[in-house]
Amino acid sequence: MKTIYLGVGMFIFLMGTALEAKDFAFPEITGWKESGEIQTFIPKNLYEYINGAADLYFSYDFQELKVAEYQNEKKGSVTVDVYRHKTPLHAFGIYSQERLPEATFLDIGIQGYYEQGFLNFLTGPYYVKISTVNTGPEDREVVVAFAKKVAQNLGEKGSFPSILSSFPAEGKKGNSEMFISKNFLGYAFFHSGFTADYELQGKKFKLFVIERVNRDECKAIIEKYLQTIKSPRKDTTEGRYTLSDPHHGEVDLHWKGVYIWGIININDVDLRSKYLKLFEEGLKKKVLSD
Amino acid sequence: MHKKLIGRRDFMKSSLAGFGGLFFLPPLDMKQEVRVVETKGKEKKLVYRTLGKTGLKLPVINMGVMLTDNPNIIRTALNSGILLLDTAHGYMQGRNEETIGGVIKGRPRDSYYIATKINLPQNRTTGLYREGATIEEFLKRLDVSLKRLGIDYVDILYQHGVSRKESVMYEPILKAFEQAKKDGKIRFSGVSTHSNEPEVIDAVTDSKVHDVILTSYTFKQKHYQEVRKAIARASQTGIGIVGMKAVRGISQQPPTVKNIPASFKWILQDPNVHTVIAGFTAFEHIETDLSIMKDLSLTEPEKLELQKEASLPGLYCQGCRQCLGQCLEKLPIPDLMRAYMYTYDYRSLAHARDLIVSLNLPSRVCEECSSCPVKCSIGFNVLKKIRDVARLKDVPSEFIA
Repeated sequence: MKTIYLGVGMFIFLMGTALEAKDFAFPEITGWKESGEIQTFIPKNLYEYINGAADLYFSYDFQELKVAEYQNEKKGSVTVDVYRHKTPLHAFGIYSQERLPEATFLDIGIQGYYEQGFLNFLTGPYYVKISTVNTGPEDREVVVAFAKKVAQNLGEKGSFPSILSSFPAEGKKGNSEMFISKNFLGYAFFHSGFTADYELQGKKFKLFVIERVNRDECKAIIEKYLQTIKSPRKDTTEGRYTLSDPHHGEVDLHWKGVYIWGIININDVDLRSKYLKLFEEGLKKKVLSD
Repeated sequence: MHKKLIGRRDFMKSSLAGFGGLFFLPPLDMKQEVRVVETKGKEKKLVYRTLGKTGLKLPVINMGVMLTDNPNIIRTALNSGILLLDTAHGYMQGRNEETIGGVIKGRPRDSYYIATKINLPQNRTTGLYREGATIEEFLKRLDVSLKRLGIDYVDILYQHGVSRKESVMYEPILKAFEQAKKDGKIRFSGVSTHSNEPEVIDAVTDSKVHDVILTSYTFKQKHYQEVRKAIARASQTGIGIVGMKAVRGISQQPPTVKNIPASFKWILQDPNVHTVIAGFTAFEHIETDLSIMKDLSLTEPEKLELQKEASLPGLYCQGCRQCLGQCLEKLPIPDLMRAYMYTYDYRSLAHARDLIVSLNLPSRVCEECSSCPVKCSIGFNVLKKIRDVARLKDVPSEFIA
């Protein structure tokens, strides 16, 4: 047996990798055959597969991509890309960056959506993208069958980040919630945060929330923000801040405990007050249910 | 027997000697124009170069939008003097183009330039186009991009991510470019590449079809001299050159460059590079990156820092492909060196094995030759590394994953 020639060093590598490896297999689909070997991409060569788009995946702690291709007798082909990220939150982040709110949403994994020629879905720490070529009128049927089988093999699907439930429902555009992992709202000191788009009475605006580990971190964020927009205060205390930001215009935000939530892109002061209040209620409910 | 080991000091010395005087170019006629612009009451110095035969006058730093969907960052970039926004059909599943569309809506069409890229199905191993890569699909994707951007034409349309000369000459895409130009949907055509760049750039130059090349070009590339040479040849024929991966270094995650201004300056010391696209995700990035235009010359401390950084990596294959054709068995040496890197640098045996198996190697690898004729440009013992890593093809996959 050839493997007996493996050196001790290689054996240790093998064992190490075996322990780290994920128990995932691409499914068998009736009428389709895997063509070629399964390809694996990691951070240092992801650009070989998705070009410049790789940069965005890195900001969501991309770990590994496995790609399988299938073909059928009618020369149709299906490509299944399984992106594994460090945490389910990071997987949600990249999924949310590419999610198309106007697409047809499906109950696959935590959530999936279909458009002619592709289906993307989120499950656990995985972001799965399935694309098709020459599948004809059965395109949707084919891609959904693949997605269901792949989802089954990827284990526990998990759920959306719980903080999303604190966003007020009124006026929220469906499937517009996002997680931004770095430089939130264009400021490094904001770190990461969640946003959702709103439209009410013809007015479009955005709500956001930042969650930090402790109160001091939130205080530091507020202080740095006030300093950056040249609006320093003597005392930085919990409460509401109505600020003029050189890039975002009027920003209304509220800090309490480990949360900073706010509203941008709208001048209507009453509406801003209403939404800050609604958001606070949502966060209270979230804290109670956690 | 004692192995002759190369010490770190010697390695540094030999690497830098290898660069000769060419790592830094002597001051050359840059054919650039300096303008002082005023934004928000502040005066700013911007340096402009002409993008080859396109005639577009661009600041030497522009924006690669791929990392952000924050319209206010893009807006701030445009308001700061940036003229070219670079995106792609596939970025963020199209949301990237939509975000740009929202920002440019209402702005005069001659106040900005848009570059986008279209990719078609490719064989990942060979880099060649495969089934589904048709003229119709290319034009369909272009129409979708124009709709997302909300404009009638893009200034530059690139064929996205090309790594083979054959792909540069792929007829359906050449025809699609011709049709798109005829229909007034694109002003200029180009090719983007970040793998096997010299071959691709040379093919673009020889094709006499395109106006612009978007290429990786960084001091961290061990084959930067070949890239530089290919760029010079392309530029002489009037092709506009846009640099990318300036601060990331090829195939590495950020942050891999310690001195960002120096990294930009290194590329811009080459008069054949007309502009570089930078990915901003924070407002401060815009200020920092544009500020290099105050003085594009590299300071002595910056030079030292770049030299140090350039000589630290290079323990693994740089993909210069000079070894191709030297092996009597015609083994895909760069791919085998990548597999070696996956095994010993990334510690990813599964990845290495996937690659090895996909190469369809002969049953006995490097066992027939008494001596190896391959001379690696950075001095690898290719034979030893191939013999070592090729063993993975005989390891059952279930033992690895």
